[in-house]
Amino acid sequence: MSRTSTSPRRTAQPNLPRVLFVTGKGGSGKSTVAAALALALSDKKRTTLADLDGHLAAANLLGSMPNDEEPARVSEKLEVIALSQRTELTSFIRRIVPIAAISNRMLRSRTFGYVTAALPGLEAFLLIERLRMIAGDAALHDRFLVVDAPATGTALELLAVAGGLQGLAPAGTLNRLAGEAQAFLLDPDRFAVLLTVTPEELALREAIETAAKLRDGRIRIVGAILNRVPEALFEKDELDSLDALGTHRSLAQKRVAERAAASTARALLERAGMTTLELPMLYRAAFDEGEISMLANKLSGWLMAS
Amino acid sequence: MVDGIVKRRGIDLNSYRLVVCLGPGGVGKTTVSAALAVTSASGGRAVDVMTVDPAPRLLDALGLDADASEPRTVALDGVRIRSAAAKRARLRALKLDPKQTFDTIVGRYAPSAAAREAILSNRIYRNLSGALAGVGDYMAMEKLLELASDSATDMVVLDTPPAAEALDFLDAPRRLLELLSSRAVTLLGAPAGLLRQFRLVDLAARAVLSAFDRVTGLNLLRDVQGFVRGFEGMYEGFAERAKRADALLRAPDTAIVLVTTPETARIAQAREFLDALGKAGLSVSAVVVNRAMPPLPDAREITAAKIPPALKQKLKRNLADYAALKERETRSLDALSEALPSGAQLLLSPELDHEPKTLADLASIGTSLRIA
Repeated sequence: MSRTSTSPRRTAQPNLPRVLFVTGKGGSGKSTVAAALALALSDKKRTTLADLDGHLAAANLLGSMPNDEEPARVSEKLEVIALSQRTELTSFIRRIVPIAAISNRMLRSRTFGYVTAALPGLEAFLLIERLRMIAGDAALHDRFLVVDAPATGTALELLAVAGGLQGLAPAGTLNRLAGEAQAFLLDPDRFAVLLTVTPEELALREAIETAAKLRDGRIRIVGAILNRVPEALFEKDELDSLDALGTHRSLAQKRVAERAAASTARALLERAGMTTLELPMLYRAAFDEGEISMLANKLSGWLMAS
Repeated sequence: MVDGIVKRRGIDLNSYRLVVCLGPGGVGKTTVSAALAVTSASGGRAVDVMTVDPAPRLLDALGLDADASEPRTVALDGVRIRSAAAKRARLRALKLDPKQTFDTIVGRYAPSAAAREAILSNRIYRNLSGALAGVGDYMAMEKLLELASDSATDMVVLDTPPAAEALDFLDAPRRLLELLSSRAVTLLGAPAGLLRQFRLVDLAARAVLSAFDRVTGLNLLRDVQGFVRGFEGMYEGFAERAKRADALLRAPDTAIVLVTTPETARIAQAREFLDALGKAGLSVSAVVVNRAMPPLPDAREITAAKIPPALKQKLKRNLADYAALKERETRSLDALSEALPSGAQLLLSPELDHEPKTLADLASIGTSLRIA
């Protein structure tokens, strides 16, 4: 994929974490932002996008189709991998039951159901473990890792699981592993969350609540991406004379209201202590690689400047 | 093509006794569920709506607080009731509390007080009955059976937990049953000497659990055994109710309604849902596209208007911007209508200019979805 970068050639933000975990309310543009962010970062350094959303929306936006086994290469410097709780548990079971004929049948059978149900939190924990491994590898080769995470509720559960397991297993190997996973999540140089939010009441409220929970959990938040911000078009009072054009007037008022909602949202996010970057609403009939590139350019500027 | 379908038909709420709203997270399932319930009640029926994770505004609109885990009557203020049917009209709403529902079921069906205590204090149960995936789904199903068996109720509308996959919810009873099935009970609960009779696959499951125990020192196997043993006397009851729930979902007077929004990614997800539901032999009555864009005005009106040229330009630009979004939406909806199974209809619920806050807001959404 080619794109023209308009961002100034400065060095990347010195304190960007190794892993950027992108989450937000369903429909707030997580996958779009994760894809654009990975593309923007890959301009500076090799980058891996880990798609945790089972529908591979971020991967698809980059025109790539990774499978469970193997990463897909988008460009020289950008690759995409698909991770799922189910896959991680599968490989865990394959390790424990090394006879393929048995482990395969087991994975296909109902037995799998009891194992997963019997080990609450294990699937999520294995996924966090895998992220920690990939992050370690990324540090070794100086790459970025962008995670297209699940929506906020599930993402918070995922981020809490290591701490939870530490409590459940007060000593022993799992306690040690959980401790290491927890240290990874709490290390601001290695891990941070980027929240996506749209200028809508519910999305905004959810973002602010999530930020508070992350702070309670001492997990770093790099900021919020305020997504789909309409460009201002009309002056104040300009629409007063439009009585004769009822529907056009309503459409213009809709634009004005959406713009105002974005300003309010930005103020509230900043008041909640989050660095906020606006991404524009793209009024385009298509939304694919070209649009992702435009958003990536916006993000590049921010990554350089902040 | 899409507009034609919408104008011709709608959900005939009166012909259903159960409406199940499925869909991915963040599409407004709860809103659509509440809207259908309010509309049906205003048409003179006795309706219960069970919500799963309502936004605070919606709780307010329904007059619920966060712990309304039993049905509460909603005063139909500000909603026009069909006068002939006013006597029967009734709306009750509740918010599912999976943990409490599970505790109640254990309390009701446990064979003895000791068995009940053993389950309630089991570590696996305590984890399972919390927010863990699947249990919420299963408990919604249990609560549904309870509501549906009330003969004073004409219709139940069920909102479901946000799902990544269509069958997450509908499949929940089967998954819980598998955990509790007699085979699992005997397998996990049996002393090692008796294990010869089990298949290698089952032994491997046990091996995974005990390997996990060895690595972790968690003693999970013991807890799992305790958990499944605890349910021994209750298994038949669970199996019987799961069967009833399945029959209820497939009944001719049950409508499965898939809710989505028009964004391209959501439409793709909705298509996956339709595919999975079809494969499971479940028929979808309607696909509701929530927050669809309303029709756009005509550009010629701007040209003809007597307003400053600069403002004309801006209005044209604004219209062109929204037209591009509308075009994106139309492409998605066309893809969706191609995937629509026969018998299912596509309904658009236009976006409101604010979050629904009142029963009247809900009624207007619901009215747009039903047969006039």
